[in-house]
Amino acid sequence: MNCPVCGAEHFSVPGGGKAAPAGERLCPYQGVPYTGLRAGHDQIYFGRWRRIDASTIDLRRAYHQLERLLNGIAVALETEDIPAARSDLGKAVEALHTAGPGEDGPEALRYLDHALSYAHRVIGDLLHEKGLPPHSPADFAGWYDAGEVPFREDW
Amino acid sequence: MIPLERYPKEISLRDDARVVLRPMIPEDADGLWSFLRQLPEIDKAHFHEDVDRREEVDRWAKSLDYEAVLPILAIRGDRVVGTVTLYRNKTGWKQRIGIVRILIAPDHRHLGLGTAMIREIRHLGEKVALNYLLAEVIEEQQAAVRALERMGFEKTGVYRNFVNDRKGHLHNLVVLLHPMSGLEK
Ligand SMILES: CC(C)(COP(=O)(O)OP(=O)(O)OC[C@H]1O[C@@H](n2cnc3c(N)ncnc32)[C@H](O)[C@@H]1OP(=O)(O)O)[C@@H](O)C(=O)NCCC(=O)NCCS
Ligand SMILES: [Zn+2]
Repeated sequence: MNCPVCGAEHFSVPGGGKAAPAGERLCPYQGVPYTGLRAGHDQIYFGRWRRIDASTIDLRRAYHQLERLLNGIAVALETEDIPAARSDLGKAVEALHTAGPGEDGPEALRYLDHALSYAHRVIGDLLHEKGLPPHSPADFAGWYDAGEVPFREDW
Repeated sequence: MIPLERYPKEISLRDDARVVLRPMIPEDADGLWSFLRQLPEIDKAHFHEDVDRREEVDRWAKSLDYEAVLPILAIRGDRVVGTVTLYRNKTGWKQRIGIVRILIAPDHRHLGLGTAMIREIRHLGEKVALNYLLAEVIEEQQAAVRALERMGFEKTGVYRNFVNDRKGHLHNLVVLLHPMSGLEK
């Protein structure tokens, strides 16, 4: 089920244990700037499509999630004057289209991965304009089934 | 003219420290001198100025011309903890290329400051319609190569035994380029 706060699919308690006590909405992105973009990013970052046993459906899902994320980023950029971020968003869209919907195989995976990296950089630019450090998915890993996602020390 | 309205700009680092970014002014000579003195020798390799001489630093601070050399300082409290400098040619065949040099105080590394400084220089480079940013890094500085690559710089060449440090030892030079959005149009 999607989180009512951030819209992403994440556990309702870190570690994925029992559901949160009734009435308590637990979302790690609550109150942080760019809640939706961060959460949208992380559900892809920790998504099933990156696993060895990912199915075509997982990939198609990642594609559409990325499409939504890039649309959300485009909206956020409309009111900001960050040319470098606009250019990166363009590259993200290009990578996504090169990957194509419903494609699988290592090429498609690689382009989806590129698109996600560009998206991450743009979110970083947005945060930087507000004087904030970049978004670090590792800080939110406990809220996802992240066991098999290879650790990327870049982020 | 290079647009500087965004300064002073306050940012927070990964350890929640607050740092102010702003262009260097002549009064920063003291701060810059203290900053340079704490750097390990390897980080000073790329200076052509003699940064161990106070007069040289004073001269540099007094002769600022942002259209040619724009140093942005990162200041924490009253201490300089990082610099990024954009070098430009006002005329000639390289006027659309900006050269970038970045240096973060050793005790302020891995906090995201270097990346924030690269974001600043990317922004300024876009604003003055550069076609490329260029960074030259000695190969030993892998943190610099990685930090630049993560922000969109691409390694375009490695020149073997190409530059000498201030003791005369040779180093491989890694050249990185960042294409700017003007090129795509
Ligand atoms: C290159 C340099 C500017 C980077 O500055 P920095 O402030 O440490 O940079 P950042 O903190 O933004 O990120 C770079 C490092 O932080 C790491 N990092 C990024 N996110 C992180 C996180 N969430 N947690 C921990 N570390 C992280 C990066 O992996 C990288 O580490 P590495 O050194 O192992 O590669 C600095 O090392 C320096 O001044 N070097 C010497 C001068 C030089 O060579 N300049 C180049 C000439 S142009
Ligand atoms: Zn949520």
